[in-house]
Amino acid sequence: MIRILDPTLRTALSSTASRAPRARHLAGATIGLLANGKSNGIMLLDRIADVLRERHGVGEVVRVAKTNASVPVSDEDAEMLAKRCAAVITAIGD
Amino acid sequence: MRAERDGVDVDDPWAAIEVCYERGWTDGLPVVPPTEALVEHTLAAGPWTPDHVLLFEPVRSRAVTAEKAAINAVMAGCRPEYFPVVGAALTALGDPAFELHGPATSTGGAALMVIVNGPARLHLGVNGTANLFGPGFRANATIGRALRLVLLNCLDCRPGVLDKSTQGWPGKYSLCFAENEEASPWEPLSVARGFRADQSTVTVYAAESGHNVLSHGTRSPERLLALFADAMAGLGSLSPGRSVIVVAPEHAKHLRHAGWDRARTQAWLYEHAWRSLADLKRAGKVEPAFFTNPKLLEWIYRDADGGTPSGPLDPDLAERVTAADEVVRVHRGLGPEDILLCVGGGEAGGHSAFFPSWSRGRSVPFVTREVPS
Repeated sequence: MIRILDPTLRTALSSTASRAPRARHLAGATIGLLANGKSNGIMLLDRIADVLRERHGVGEVVRVAKTNASVPVSDEDAEMLAKRCAAVITAIGD
Repeated sequence: MRAERDGVDVDDPWAAIEVCYERGWTDGLPVVPPTEALVEHTLAAGPWTPDHVLLFEPVRSRAVTAEKAAINAVMAGCRPEYFPVVGAALTALGDPAFELHGPATSTGGAALMVIVNGPARLHLGVNGTANLFGPGFRANATIGRALRLVLLNCLDCRPGVLDKSTQGWPGKYSLCFAENEEASPWEPLSVARGFRADQSTVTVYAAESGHNVLSHGTRSPERLLALFADAMAGLGSLSPGRSVIVVAPEHAKHLRHAGWDRARTQAWLYEHAWRSLADLKRAGKVEPAFFTNPKLLEWIYRDADGGTPSGPLDPDLAERVTAADEVVRVHRGLGPEDILLCVGGGEAGGHSAFFPSWSRGRSVPFVTREVPS
């Protein structure tokens, strides 16, 4: 019998990451749209926002677009989205 | 006593290889089963504690520790003494300026090039001579492979899932080689990048597939370098990004005899690696969005009479070729320092290589780190 070690971060991630609470109701809720900076991300998210308005009556929509897809969203934008939005949708749209 | 490490118990090494396939832990080739003993030997060959974070990728918040790096290095087939090179390369990839998330996941399909300089090349047997990009050398084959396995296993860069490479290329298995410092007319790359010749270093780069630059017909630096400039100015890969040129010893000899130093060679290549804006437009290389992006406008017009426009231009200009566009020279990169020159290959043959940077934009910078001794 031999033991081989796990090369992944599976365990490390499961102990540190947890999911944010889910938004229970979308009607009237403020929704954040976070485009990752690729050329069609905003277009895709705007279409999703239209659908959310039509089907679920979401309220205000807050848009953030990263200028560089290779870097994380800025702390300021992340904090603003967390403070103002009931849910945030992110998309690539390449 | 440390906590037991996560792992899988198997009957024998052959079963271990198959378990690694089943769990999606390989690059397609069989791996060396990462037993506790092999991982310990590998960790012991480097200066890092097991929980030392060698690479932190901020977009997905992933921290790669020395222990996880060692597991992947064993799997790649590294000898323990290669581990300081693997660790230094991971540290370089984790430099925030390298913005690893882009080249690791992009449709562009970049390989992570590692150029090794200094004494480590010789005592580890990293090949910088004949067939340096090809098979036959354990250090070359496994050091680069260890980085790819870290991307696959620790950063989840699975093909078609997070790694969205449209095509990728074989350099993504491993692209690690030494500079042939002995054949270079110049100071070693590491010295040009601020280190001493007695220090070992790794220089990393996000590389698209290489182009052979073939010349057996001239000793003239200008004629020879014109071939490099022509490859660099190919419209398929023309961008404001970087270039790596690996000069074959035979070509390097011609530059040495003519007394061309590194700076002059870089400057000449930058000056001559260009296409007209009209050519770019006719080939559809200029996207409408370029005309509203200040950085791309600066690239396109930096050499034009009248300089860079102060504000956005009409995006419709992307498809309209004007007489003025015929005389606007759009260079590869933004200056001579965007061209990294090193020497590599066997003594015989006029075959050098040009590697364009990943991305249609600026790509990511060259990053050099010392290999701990």
